[in-house]
Amino acid sequence: MNEAPSSLYVHIPFCREICAYCDFPKVIYDKQWVKPYLDSLFLEISSYGGSKYKTIYVGGGTPTSLEDGDFKTLLSFLSPLLEKGGEFSVEANPESLTREKASMMKEAGVNRVSIGMQTSSKRLLSLLGRKHAYEEVEKAVSVLREVGIENINVDWMYALPKESDEEFEEDAKAILALGVPHISAYSLILEEGTLFKSKGIEEEPEDRQAELYERILKILRGAGYRRYEVSNFAKIGHECAHNMVYWRDERYVGCGLGAAGYIANTRYKNTRNLKSYIEGNWLSEKEEVGPKDDMEYFLITNLRLEEGFALDAFQSRFGKDFLSVKKGYYEPLVGKGLLLIEGGRVKPSEKGMLLLDSILRNLI
Amino acid sequence: MAKDLSLIRNFSIIAHIDHGKSTLADRILEQTGAVASRDMKEQLLDSMDLERERGITIKLNAVSLSYKAKDGKEYLFNLIDTPGHVDFTYEVSRSLAACEGALLVVDATQGVQAQTLANVYLAIDNDLAILPVINKVDLPSAMPDLVQDEIEKRVGISCEDACLVSAKTGLGVDEVLEKIVKDIPAPKGDPEKPLQALIFDSYYDPYRGVVIMMSVKNGSVKVGDTILLMQSGKEYLVTEVGIRTPSEMKVDSLSAGEVGYLAAQIKDIRDVFPGETVTLKGNPCEAPLPGYRRINPMVYCGLYPVDSKEYGDLKDALEKLCLNDASLHFVPETSQALGFGFRAGFLGLLHMDVIQERLEREYGLNLILTAPSVIYKIVMTNGEVLTIDNPSQLPDLSKVSRIEEPFVEASIMAPSEYVGPIMELCQQRRGTYRDLVYFDDTRVIVKYDLPLSEIIYNFFDKLKSNTRGYASLDYEFKDYRPSDLVKMDILLNGEQIDALSSIVYRPGAYKRGLSIVSRLKNIIPRQQFEVPIQAAIGGKVIARADIKSMRKDVLAKCYGGDISRKKKLLEKQKEGKKRMKAVGSVEVPQEAFMSVLSIEEDN
Repeated sequence: MNEAPSSLYVHIPFCREICAYCDFPKVIYDKQWVKPYLDSLFLEISSYGGSKYKTIYVGGGTPTSLEDGDFKTLLSFLSPLLEKGGEFSVEANPESLTREKASMMKEAGVNRVSIGMQTSSKRLLSLLGRKHAYEEVEKAVSVLREVGIENINVDWMYALPKESDEEFEEDAKAILALGVPHISAYSLILEEGTLFKSKGIEEEPEDRQAELYERILKILRGAGYRRYEVSNFAKIGHECAHNMVYWRDERYVGCGLGAAGYIANTRYKNTRNLKSYIEGNWLSEKEEVGPKDDMEYFLITNLRLEEGFALDAFQSRFGKDFLSVKKGYYEPLVGKGLLLIEGGRVKPSEKGMLLLDSILRNLI
Repeated sequence: MAKDLSLIRNFSIIAHIDHGKSTLADRILEQTGAVASRDMKEQLLDSMDLERERGITIKLNAVSLSYKAKDGKEYLFNLIDTPGHVDFTYEVSRSLAACEGALLVVDATQGVQAQTLANVYLAIDNDLAILPVINKVDLPSAMPDLVQDEIEKRVGISCEDACLVSAKTGLGVDEVLEKIVKDIPAPKGDPEKPLQALIFDSYYDPYRGVVIMMSVKNGSVKVGDTILLMQSGKEYLVTEVGIRTPSEMKVDSLSAGEVGYLAAQIKDIRDVFPGETVTLKGNPCEAPLPGYRRINPMVYCGLYPVDSKEYGDLKDALEKLCLNDASLHFVPETSQALGFGFRAGFLGLLHMDVIQERLEREYGLNLILTAPSVIYKIVMTNGEVLTIDNPSQLPDLSKVSRIEEPFVEASIMAPSEYVGPIMELCQQRRGTYRDLVYFDDTRVIVKYDLPLSEIIYNFFDKLKSNTRGYASLDYEFKDYRPSDLVKMDILLNGEQIDALSSIVYRPGAYKRGLSIVSRLKNIIPRQQFEVPIQAAIGGKVIARADIKSMRKDVLAKCYGGDISRKKKLLEKQKEGKKRMKAVGSVEVPQEAFMSVLSIEEDN
């Protein structure tokens, strides 16, 4: 499968503050690096040719940490690369999502915005190192609606350090009150090299994480959201098209500091070193994906979707029947009620969704 | 041409662990000019990684050195190394049989230890000249006078001429070398008699076949001779003889009094075993040399490859290890839970540990060891007596009249203030008090009869921690005695796992069952379903714990588009699982099988 990539990810590494849990490539905002960075970024994007993309996703870092002029330059550069009717997403922090930036986005054709709310609790926000308050999230949402951007995602983090039941319930209420069509719910993951890790903070116990996840599932389903991926919930028709490219194991271009991409049969990663990136040494790793790895990637991504994958799709991509090549592996999983094979599709069960990594270790 | 026997000295070094044997050996190697000091790794004689790491010597090693003495003559020294741990008495007797003398190295800050005593007595049994060497005299806490006094009183050797040395700084080592010349007798053999050589070690070399390490007692051997191994009856054409200096050096011949190696394209490692006598086919000696005091394994355990495809590799590796470790025994065994493996016998727990580590490190195998067991005697109601070394072989108890287990006599030496904790530990382990002897003003020897099964696991560690490391232990087999024993089975997910069965003391069985299930609960990770763990005696469940099913095992976020990071993470987790064995439907970590025994910490 060598189709041209139909999606573009663009990474803006600058942040005004560093969050305690974040391990994405990022640097503290420093005006002198912005222009050289954008120059190099634009060169990298243009190096992949001028064809249009069905989805463009600007993530970070904090894209909205850029000053208005730079922000506008970025959006104007990207805008012509979007196919008509395509999805154009930008990540935003509540405190830097001003009316000006909202209008710029609208004008540039941005039609989806993802807001990093994380939690509504003052205690937990300050623990995370976030400088906003819940009221700013409300304001950001209404500003977006005023300029005509309705397709909004809000990030929700749960299982935060010593998060109480009351704090959790508060968050659930606060999120639902926003009435946005898309919610991403992530449990806190402690990664090496983050502030949390160096402080010796630990993840909440497995049982607590599971309990909160199950409560989120119930709450959001009750409010009309559908879980289409492990951590992603949307009202019908508001699934994130860009992320679906990842979950369906399709091709995408990734540009910017530390960005990852998948073109033809190569997965690549960019450097995480800002100086190297600015000097135009974008690439840091390349992995040729052989047939065996290809199949593993396919399973790792597609099984994250509630709909799983179609047996036909597997057959046409690999020229093999999933049920015969993975026979000894999938059968016990079906026996334990973790994996379902129905309607010509393979998908994780309700229980299996929560044990997906252990399913994948059995399958790959 | 045969060497002048009066210019040869064969000796070994006896010392307690950490008393400085290897350091002294290194200094001797340096000062005899065998090796330039810049070429030396620390402690040359301990050549296995494992030996270096643990500071113990396990395999035998021998080096030939030339020493120009003050009398102007050039002497050939053969230094044969001995192991220093309680498990390796057999190995010590092998190296001592190849010598005429031994250096007794005692740490000037610690004095004589029980282990040293045992080895010195072995040396005395072998009629060896003993040369006392008081080491570490440079340390501020050294008490050389007291230690000499102690050696005289307790070992019964005169210390009038004891050498006071610091192997670390080299102080006094030249004096040791002179004493080796003066006080250790030259070998008595006759180079004109038919060849009679004692094999004390061997190893496998892919190009030369089995290489024999031997001590020539009489006669001589050269390249082109046809040798006869007297007990196996096999014949071989000698392709190479040499000495180790410590690197190998080919020589024309080896003759009476010399120690060296011999290669003869011996393909089958089973044809050669330590204690065997080498002679010449054309001119054989009358009788083989007395072999070694053969010590039977005391402790047995199951050895299984985690990956059943490695069964053949495990067999090859065990055969190679047996080549220079005659105390290692193994026979094929099958477990319902673990598949094909071997039942292996060891001298003790350290020996077992060392073999496990060598198999994993040197042969790259991934192993599961079952809990070690002693040999039980089962007296049946019809009078028949069975011996079993695996708890799962225990017959139906209705047909058993009694079970007997091996007892040892343990001698524990320690400063007198620790008598209380030592006796408490021995009582806990079902010991019977025998004797308490004051060694000197401050130290005692406590003697207990103990079931071997109670000391094979953790006893020594426990003893050390109860005495702040001061106690030393020596034990020997005494007799079999009837005990109130039962078999305890462990069931995982309702399935009896033979490899987890153990034989336990009935009055303590309930407590032990609880302890085992809760331990297993902590060791076995949560699975995709709930797993009950039960301990049962004769089909009756006496303890139970449940491993709850895994509830969440999925990464919430997926690192943006960086899917390869996710894949690597899964692969790493999968690699970690490889050290687990799928037993029925449950993934069990290796250490679970050993955990059946590690009970007493819970007390």
